[in-house]
Amino acid sequence: MSTFIQVVLRSLETGGVYALAALGIIIIFRTSNITHFAQGSMGMFNTYVVATLVAGLKLPLWMATVCGLCTAVLLGCLVDFFIIRRAKKVSPIAKQIITLGLIMVFVGLAPMFFGVDPLSLPRFIESGELNLGGAYLTYNGLFNILLGIILMVILFYVLQKTKMGIAIRTTASNEPVARLMGVPTKNVTLFAWALAACLGCLSGVMIAPTTSVTPNVMDSVQVNALIACVLGGFQTFYGPVLGAYIIAIGTNLLTLYVSSVWGGQLMYLLVLLFIVFRTQGLVGKKLIKKV
Amino acid sequence: MKKESNTVQPSATPVRSAPGVLKNPYIRYILFGVVICLLPLLANSGIMPSSFVVNLGSVLIYSIVALGLNLLLGYSGLISLGTAGFMGLGAYISGYLTDSVGTPFIVALLVAVIIAAFIGVLVGFVSLRVAGIYLAIATLCVSEILRKTFEELDQFTNGFSGLTASYPKLFGVSLSREMTFVLLAVVLVLVMMLTHNLVNGQMGRALHAMRGSEVAAQAMGIYLLKYRLIVFAIATAYAALGGALYMHFVKFSYPSIWTMMLSLNILAVVVIGGLRSIYGTVIGALIVFAVPDLLLKRIPVIGKIDGIAYIFTGVLIILVVMFYPNGVVGLCNDIKKLFTRGKKKGGASDV
Repeated sequence: MSTFIQVVLRSLETGGVYALAALGIIIIFRTSNITHFAQGSMGMFNTYVVATLVAGLKLPLWMATVCGLCTAVLLGCLVDFFIIRRAKKVSPIAKQIITLGLIMVFVGLAPMFFGVDPLSLPRFIESGELNLGGAYLTYNGLFNILLGIILMVILFYVLQKTKMGIAIRTTASNEPVARLMGVPTKNVTLFAWALAACLGCLSGVMIAPTTSVTPNVMDSVQVNALIACVLGGFQTFYGPVLGAYIIAIGTNLLTLYVSSVWGGQLMYLLVLLFIVFRTQGLVGKKLIKKV
Repeated sequence: MKKESNTVQPSATPVRSAPGVLKNPYIRYILFGVVICLLPLLANSGIMPSSFVVNLGSVLIYSIVALGLNLLLGYSGLISLGTAGFMGLGAYISGYLTDSVGTPFIVALLVAVIIAAFIGVLVGFVSLRVAGIYLAIATLCVSEILRKTFEELDQFTNGFSGLTASYPKLFGVSLSREMTFVLLAVVLVLVMMLTHNLVNGQMGRALHAMRGSEVAAQAMGIYLLKYRLIVFAIATAYAALGGALYMHFVKFSYPSIWTMMLSLNILAVVVIGGLRSIYGTVIGALIVFAVPDLLLKRIPVIGKIDGIAYIFTGVLIILVVMFYPNGVVGLCNDIKKLFTRGKKKGGASDV
């Protein structure tokens, strides 16, 4: 039982990371109608910024993270301003390809700015463990779980209650009509890209201490976040979050109880089967194609 | 639809001003192949460094793979990010069969292609249910499953330490590097001809109709399931063929080669070269896989920057998608049009 609790707690930590990245993807998808494949690479780039500040300038981690968030905002705005805004007339498939191109640009830029050596990133809370009925959780893990949940609560509050949130949701449901109604859709997409970049950066900073900061530190986060979006459905904001936690917990439980080698593949196969039978995802509504 | 399928398509031969023999597209493909086959001679006579042969050989391999993706992305409008996984599958199957089981090269190649095509058919079934954005991620999912399998199934794949293979043996003769290069060129020309036939026949028209509107295509009597399955089977078969050839030309394979970055690179080949263009795909492969290694790294300052190859390809993808959706091949046509328009003094008014 204690292993079970321990595995679930660990999964909540990774699930939070996937959920933050997935939220970024879904916000972009809803406001700009683009599947944001470069979410992970942009997060990776900003994680590099944080790691370089910590290693090079010896800044404390929280200050470096704030700086990283600033560059993330800048980067998100730049991408929206120079690329996405100018690609409005491009077909949806071609828009996806643009973000695939962005991945390559960021993977190329990272070694150019920060060198080829992998960097390491410290944890927010270096030591200490919590005993929960035989299961151990590091304070840092607890911090990550709580940070993820608090951020998501704030985000959903913003989306549901504030004026900006209403603007985002209007843009998401119908962009041209929202523009006609006086919603500044350009600012909304700009805000969405900045927000997604910040979420990517945070998930990067949370996952990086478990490995080292390299150009492919975010690959698994990116893949899992995308799959979480598919599992949860692209129609709601909370679906992908749910999907992210399910994937993290499912993968770890399958690895523990079924097979330590095939757990990950099995989870992906199950997700694949699930979306074959329920194309709209877990909580999505079925889209009716108009002819 | 069915009555027309027996007649030869006149649109297959676009160039009208070329002399008689060159009008035949097949002869042009063969001529193209012969020109490629002459490249190793250049290396032998010292005009070109012999390391170029390896680079150009992988360009040929990636062209084969990208032609498959072009069938999906260009002709059918289906986006797939699973190319690298299928390439790896082909590489590992043929590598394992020739190396450990001792089957002849051709048999191993066929087995690899058939197994991959079978999995491709399964993905085709998924693609009927899962459209658009979901499909890209579903194929990415398949590719990830395959890559993890390569890592874990180490009695077949040798795990992280990688599998090695030798140059292919054809009819009892072990080929040298140059001969393998010629083999690659022959396979590429065959694949180009096959693709040409596919897209200019009934299937090509069916795919065009499906890309425009699935519902309209169905109303015209096109059986979606059949063509989806065929196009996915062919695309994955090409990928596996390319992978198997890669295994025997580059002679090693690690799980870390077959990642999403490779799928992206092949996607870049199709987008940059030109959607729905056979020669464009080869040009695209040359730009993505050869130009960074052969040219960019030789430029003094820029060449020293790490990751310049990725930046080059990434920026090129974005620029081509945003400003030049026809790809580099469109550039050639536009230049040609510019010249003919100049001769006619602005008389051309076709859109």
